Amino acid sequence: MIKIENLEKVYRTEEVETKALNKVSLTVNEGEFVAIMGPSGCGKSTLLNIIGLLDEPDGGSLKFAGTEIAHYTERKRADLRKRNLGFVFQSFNLIDELTVVENVELPLIYLGVSAAERKEKVDKVLEKMQIMHRRNHFPQQLSGGQQQRVAVARAVINSPRLILADEPTGNLDSSNGNEVMELLTELNEAGTTIIMVTHSEHDARYAHRVIRLLDGEVVMENVHKQFTA
Amino acid sequence: MFKNYLKVAYRSLVRHKGFSFLNIVGLALGLTACLLIGLFVFDELQYDKSVPEGNQVYRVYTEYTKNEALEAFAVVPPMFATTLKQEFPEVEQTTRILMNSSISLLEVGEKKIYLENGLIADSTFFDVFPLPFKYGSAKEALAGTRSIVLAEDAAKTLFGGQDPVGRELKVSKTTFIVKGVLRNSLSKFHLKINYVLPLAAAEIPAERMKSWGWQQFYTYVKLKPGTDAQQTQAKLQDYIVQKVRNLDKKDPITFVPFLQRLTDIHLHSASFKYDLAVRGNITYVKALSLIAAFVLLIACFNFVNLATAKSMQRAKEVGIRKTIGASQQQLMLQFLIETVLLTFVSVLVAAVLTSLVLPTLNEFTGKDMSFNLLAQPVILLLLVILTVVVGLMAGFYPALVLSGFQPIKVLKRSVASDGMFGRVQWLRHGLIVVQFSLSIFLIVSAIVVFLQVDYLHNKDLGFNREQIMFFPMRGENMKKSYESFKSELLQTPGVASASIGYGFPGDAVAGDQIQVPTKGEQKLYSVTHLMVDYDYLQTLGLQLLVGRNFSKELTTDKDHAFIINQTAAQELGFGTPEQALGQTLVWNVTADSVKKGQVIGVVKDFHYKSLYDRVEPAVLHINPADYWKVAVKLKGENLGSAISGVKEVWRKFSPDYPIEYKFLDDNFTQMYQAEDKLKSLLWVFTAVAVFVGCLGLFGLATYAAERRKKEIGIRKVLGANTSTIVALLSKEFLKLVLVAALIAFPVAWVVMRKWLEDFAYRINFPLWVFLAAGLAAVAVAFLTISYQAIKAATTNPIQNLRAE
Repeated sequence: MIKIENLEKVYRTEEVETKALNKVSLTVNEGEFVAIMGPSGCGKSTLLNIIGLLDEPDGGSLKFAGTEIAHYTERKRADLRKRNLGFVFQSFNLIDELTVVENVELPLIYLGVSAAERKEKVDKVLEKMQIMHRRNHFPQQLSGGQQQRVAVARAVINSPRLILADEPTGNLDSSNGNEVMELLTELNEAGTTIIMVTHSEHDARYAHRVIRLLDGEVVMENVHKQFTA
Repeated sequence: MFKNYLKVAYRSLVRHKGFSFLNIVGLALGLTACLLIGLFVFDELQYDKSVPEGNQVYRVYTEYTKNEALEAFAVVPPMFATTLKQEFPEVEQTTRILMNSSISLLEVGEKKIYLENGLIADSTFFDVFPLPFKYGSAKEALAGTRSIVLAEDAAKTLFGGQDPVGRELKVSKTTFIVKGVLRNSLSKFHLKINYVLPLAAAEIPAERMKSWGWQQFYTYVKLKPGTDAQQTQAKLQDYIVQKVRNLDKKDPITFVPFLQRLTDIHLHSASFKYDLAVRGNITYVKALSLIAAFVLLIACFNFVNLATAKSMQRAKEVGIRKTIGASQQQLMLQFLIETVLLTFVSVLVAAVLTSLVLPTLNEFTGKDMSFNLLAQPVILLLLVILTVVVGLMAGFYPALVLSGFQPIKVLKRSVASDGMFGRVQWLRHGLIVVQFSLSIFLIVSAIVVFLQVDYLHNKDLGFNREQIMFFPMRGENMKKSYESFKSELLQTPGVASASIGYGFPGDAVAGDQIQVPTKGEQKLYSVTHLMVDYDYLQTLGLQLLVGRNFSKELTTDKDHAFIINQTAAQELGFGTPEQALGQTLVWNVTADSVKKGQVIGVVKDFHYKSLYDRVEPAVLHINPADYWKVAVKLKGENLGSAISGVKEVWRKFSPDYPIEYKFLDDNFTQMYQAEDKLKSLLWVFTAVAVFVGCLGLFGLATYAAERRKKEIGIRKVLGANTSTIVALLSKEFLKLVLVAALIAFPVAWVVMRKWLEDFAYRINFPLWVFLAAGLAAVAVAFLTISYQAIKAATTNPIQNLRAE
């Protein structure tokens, strides 16, 4: 589903040039759950942002389902994001002005889905995330675990083919963290591809495979579980 | 989708209450100022627009060059109308109104009232101005010599509500028959009308009506449809040169005639002499429009400033929306809808404010403007357009900036990227400079106008205008026995002195020529003639420089003595006042009688006209034939009983006429009404502009303090005290105010000097005004900023550092 070859990303300030990614190549198959690990500054978030079309690479190739997307225009990126990708962040990134329901249905609004259909889908996913009873609350009124469940609900509402999770449990205690990881696993078992950046070895064990980065290069791959497409 | 935008916009307004409040108040004030000025300007532009076929109607006026200055006269000789009608085939109709400033007594049975604004017009008046009639009809309404047409209000006062057509009415003791009543729809007509009499009633000798020199008629011409007025004007000018100029070899005609569009009369005649029209002033209309634009601009800039400053707070939202798949266009639309919504709320507030303030403005301007959303769909439409235009104008740039944020940058750092921030900061600073330039410009203008108006009212006019009761004599008896009338007045307790004459300060004065016989040839000068009596100097408190006053003891003073003013001594070529004494002057009273005499005294110049006009050479002499007006100087104490004493004497001499008096200083106060109003309006709008600008500055200071929280914390930990922090935060803004001042000063200097030039007597442009305006702007700005600066500086630094 994702095929990366010799991907490069360089950050420049006036004097210093830092290679965030140095000829990274990797492949993620459809239905796979991959964890990316490494110390701070190893380039894992940069990699995730490039895969999520939030950032552009300086070199190399990025293919999504066989199509080269490394240098898509802003408009095409936005389109691809809203149709195929879901994001989960460490800091949840819910919009404070919107209620739970409104946050979750936002991707559908940008897809132009009708109100009736939106309601049906949102109800279903909130039910699944067990957050239905707080549907009209604002983010500040929820606990961290609840907020992250809402964020996951928003990430999956448009049935994306790929979910990108950036330290999804980083701001959660262990029991809430486990809940979120269970949710991601369920989604993966239902067929969604997941790429997750994490610091936590515990979380990484939920994945089929762990890719380790150091100084912008892939240094190791461990397979936890056998993945069959 | 749209509903969602509105919902988010609404929540965002409610959530950021302070921001919304600042914006709404600022915009609403700006819009209110705009609406009020807009209504005023619109009303001013409506004059004579509804006269049927008014686009074919022109007024004839003349221009002279006098002492190298151009003077325009609204009145022209009677032959213009006659010639235009007879010799210009493109002329459909002409009509004349006799210049006549007197107020007449109207009587119906026992009811007596004085009415001004009585027109004496050609019977063709209603052909040129087809005004609507309530009773009777325009046809034959001014036929014969004894017809009268009344305005609706006048008819109501005189006859109650009934139809008065066919009833009798006395005007100055002559009986007229009512032929019609005009409908009350004249508020936007350039002539104020209480009644119209036929010109035939004035019984002017036919010979007089053939004059090319007697400038006494407001003359209108209605051209046939499709006529090029420019061409007619050129033809008319040519006609004057060819056939009229040298009719009188000794006294050639020097004026040039022009045609003025009917719809231009109200606003484009401000400098005309002897005008009868209700006049506005296009300069003031333009100035007000400009101020309205300024205030609205300042309010819009506020919005741009606050919105971009606040963008850090919205950045995260933008990042999330983009990550989820929102396109830049969708986000721009969202932010624009937010702005339009905010503008909409402001427009609602402004509409309410406008309807609350309008009655005051109506009273102030003497207008009858209305602002009714339901009754005037045009206004509703206008408000909708205003909402969209202002919303887009204020919202476009912030929307562009906000929607342009890169999601990963704002999500990672929770602050807009530095590059973007720097660029926006530049813009914000630029906008503040523009805002303050406009404000400072207005402050300087307001002070200059205030000083000049104060000068107009308080300048030493060279005579004492206090407590002088002033009225015209009425009735044959009073005029005949003016001497005993005066001596009885003088015996009335409370009366200090009295003077009867024609040509009192602030009132009408006569102009004519005077001859100075030098070495055989007679030199002619055009001067002001003040027809006075023996007590004129004393009553007005004029200062005699040399020579003596007129004396009753010297019988020759009545027919052979002149007193002149200082300017006359110079302009008639005598030199100093001393040299003028004993010089001979000759005045041609009529074609075959002259008054010849010596200069017996020279008075210090006094302002018998407004300060717009330079003091002209004036000649004072005793001339009972022209006696008309009475000035009675009252003693300071117990004015009430002195006035009733004067009234009693009046009743003895003129029982048929009620007395109708005013005070001489009121004449002067009225001269500067337009300036008084300009002064008040300028203060109000300057205050609004400064206030709105400060709202924006307050908002910006808030965000600046917010943004530099961490810096302030670190500085305080390192030992900075409160005052250094306040200085640090204020410096940035005060610098901008100073730059603004440097831009505003030269502009204000040029513009206000130009305005002052209209006055013959004016203040010297005081340079301290700049210092005052600059200090005021800095002080206001500092007060605005200091609240936030002090708050930021006194916060416990650990709180801010821990938050990082």
